[in-house]
Amino acid sequence: MSTEAVVSAIKDSAQARTPLRIAGRSTWLDAGRPVRADKTLSLRDDSGVVGYVPGDLTLTVRAGTPLSEIERVTHEHGQWLPLDPYGSADGTIGATLATASAGPLASSFGLPRDLLLGLEFVNGRGDVVRGGGKVVKNVAGFDLSRLLTGAWGTLGVITEVTLRLYAVPSVDRTFAVRLDGGEREMASLIRAIITSPLSPYAVLLLNASAAHAARLGERPVCLIRFGGNDAVVRAQVNALSQIARIQELETDVWMRIRRLDGDAHTTIRVVSLPQRFLAASARILGENVPGIHTCIDPRRGVLRIIVGAADDEDGDGLNAVIGGSQDLQIEGADASEVIFERLPADVWREVSPSVVSDELSQRIKRAFDPHHILNPGILGD
Amino acid sequence: MTQPTPASTLAHGSPAKSAVAERLAEIVGARHVLSRPSELLVYNSDGLPGYRRQPRLAVFPGTRDETIAVVRLLAGEGLPFVPRGAGTGLSGGALADDIVVIGLHRLKKIIALDVENRRATVEPGVVNLRLNKHVAPYGLLYAPDPSSEAACTIGGNVAENAGGPHCLKYGVTLNHVLAMTVLLPSGDVVELGSRIGERDGYDLRGAFIGSEGCFGLALDITVKLTPRPQTVRTLLADFMSVDAAAHATSAIIASGIVPAALEFMDGPTIRVVEDSIYAAGYPRDAEAILLIELDGLEAGVSADLEAVRRICLDGGARNVKVARDDAERLKLWQGRKKAFGAMGRLAPHLIVQDAVIPRTRLPEILETIHRISEKYGVVVCNVFHAGDGNLHPNIAYSADDPAESERVHKAMTEIMRACIDAGGSITGEHGVGLDKMGYMESIFSESSLNAMCELRGVFDPERRSNPGKVVPIHACKEWNAVSGDRLRMDASLSEPRPLEAEPAHPSAQ
Repeated sequence: MSTEAVVSAIKDSAQARTPLRIAGRSTWLDAGRPVRADKTLSLRDDSGVVGYVPGDLTLTVRAGTPLSEIERVTHEHGQWLPLDPYGSADGTIGATLATASAGPLASSFGLPRDLLLGLEFVNGRGDVVRGGGKVVKNVAGFDLSRLLTGAWGTLGVITEVTLRLYAVPSVDRTFAVRLDGGEREMASLIRAIITSPLSPYAVLLLNASAAHAARLGERPVCLIRFGGNDAVVRAQVNALSQIARIQELETDVWMRIRRLDGDAHTTIRVVSLPQRFLAASARILGENVPGIHTCIDPRRGVLRIIVGAADDEDGDGLNAVIGGSQDLQIEGADASEVIFERLPADVWREVSPSVVSDELSQRIKRAFDPHHILNPGILGD
Repeated sequence: MTQPTPASTLAHGSPAKSAVAERLAEIVGARHVLSRPSELLVYNSDGLPGYRRQPRLAVFPGTRDETIAVVRLLAGEGLPFVPRGAGTGLSGGALADDIVVIGLHRLKKIIALDVENRRATVEPGVVNLRLNKHVAPYGLLYAPDPSSEAACTIGGNVAENAGGPHCLKYGVTLNHVLAMTVLLPSGDVVELGSRIGERDGYDLRGAFIGSEGCFGLALDITVKLTPRPQTVRTLLADFMSVDAAAHATSAIIASGIVPAALEFMDGPTIRVVEDSIYAAGYPRDAEAILLIELDGLEAGVSADLEAVRRICLDGGARNVKVARDDAERLKLWQGRKKAFGAMGRLAPHLIVQDAVIPRTRLPEILETIHRISEKYGVVVCNVFHAGDGNLHPNIAYSADDPAESERVHKAMTEIMRACIDAGGSITGEHGVGLDKMGYMESIFSESSLNAMCELRGVFDPERRSNPGKVVPIHACKEWNAVSGDRLRMDASLSEPRPLEAEPAHPSAQ
């Protein structure tokens, strides 16, 4: 597979008006999204490093390169791409960007769109287009890179990307704080941790079900990851231990967290103002429905509700969760965004509105994929 | 809504100018519409005085509703316009060639400040530094800090995707804007992005930021605020050769330490600044200085400070001085931030570039720039964001001397070529505007430029907002192969449509 092969596949499909499902290695969340396509265009074989000068802290790779491969290549030079989306590390960088998938590190290092410097894609007419560049700062031309990030392959097939890298910190340590006690104690502990002058890489709150699945016990837990030089990590660990009883974990716990979705049939992301989560976290974590994991990134203002990863949930459980997530909209309609990451295919059709139904999005779609052959239906379009 | 006036009426001269001016005056008040050439002189350039375009009219709405009414009036008349903030841009971007300028500096309300969630919503005319002063008492800051921060507006920052020294660690405008209410050139109002932070669907917010006024204008902007770092330390390392300072820069970046800022000034710049009222106490005999700032938690900063000092000394720094207090820190920064201003001492005109190169290529490119400056007999002052590889070679000259102008432009073209050949970009933070449009085809293919034209066409199908900037018109396939109607529109954009009868063409009507 090469850019030329993608061009020819798209041109063929455009001519025959045959819709294509765009896939990386197909390890990603299937998401239950109803793509109306019989043919799959897989980027699986379009993998590898195109350019890497470690001193520049930038990396250019083919879109089909698995995240695990990027990790391997960059670690050899003491560097990393601080992107830890939920799912398997065998997923591709192209799919990560196309779906704008992010994990706990996003609250410190930014979303995929913030780590992307430039990309190459093939639009729905088979034109090869480049946006951005290969340097860390660039405002030349209109921003096609951001446009393709999170577009779920509907505007073009990403074939190559250039990313910003960071140095692996000399120290990288993760701690657990057990959230024992009642809701009130839990709330004050969470508040104390989040409002302290710490600067962690990641903070994640798990309910009992998620904690159990991640082999972290049977009670809600707060995970905190510190990185940096020895002095800054030591100072923060000391400060945290003044606030709460802490227990150090191996950093591979984060890999288990990324896999929490497992075989879940439903994942809902609720985005709201960080302060709102601070107030609601203890209540959300306290409501333990078996088989439903809840994970809160309080600094990013994101709650993920994962249903059916542990036990099969019936329809009532799902409805309860959807209703529960809407509870966060307590103070007005614009107080939260509910994003469906994954739903059972039949439910998807019922609940998912088109997220690209506005006039500008429609016009963009028509401009970049005039024959409507790229992942039709995946955005509810 | 008003029916569009047939282009022919306008092109061949109706009393449209006075009619349009009067109707604009009805919206914003007569004293907020300028139409006399002498009054409009102020608006005929941005921060790059090498480009001058005389607007036909300037209008300054004072409220959001007035702005909407102004744009709808122009939409109804099919008239092109250029949004403008403080006019501090460095790309020849906010220039209106015989068309209407919409100045947004009167829209300067800080609409909302949410300290707990660290965000603020502001009108486009709010000055960058004013926002920072407003949020400082709450222990917060707005991170993008262009050198023009004392004058430039947040609306202009969004249009240009502005950067600044501290973007090395904190990211550019794009990374700090959550949402905007945008007034499209059609007069329609749309919400882009999410004030909450994240949403599904196409990142129209990301597409709009850096669109240089070609996609419309922002009526309000919601930005993320950043907690002020616990500790800030600023170092000044001076070197007896440009090459040593360049290598030290590459070594700091390669070490993985991310300074808050890493700025480079060469000998000619140091001496210009030291001769000016902005004298910062830089060593006059040095050939280069690095101004390096580290911030964060006290414990971590101290360790990084020591590491950076070591890298500089090992790399041949003569001296590494750490500012003792905030007053000393600010003085060191003042010299850097006012360096452009200080260059006014050298010659009446200044040309500045904004190319970005891969950071490992810095020593080699600075050597190349030196060689080119000698070849053409011009003095290049280098003052730039070294940590990002974002160069700013400046040449002060007199535009009234044609021979000198030619040498200066040849030198700048050659410098740009070298940066492009090194795998760089033509602009890191100033934008393309008019200034770098000629280089767009050197870094983007025909189909990439065409995709940009199509994206522009989504926001501004009639291409009336800041026409003739960023992407050369001839690069837009669809725009060229169109019917007579469309062609007439293109012609009117490249040679802007007069708003009134030209006395020189009495045959009109």
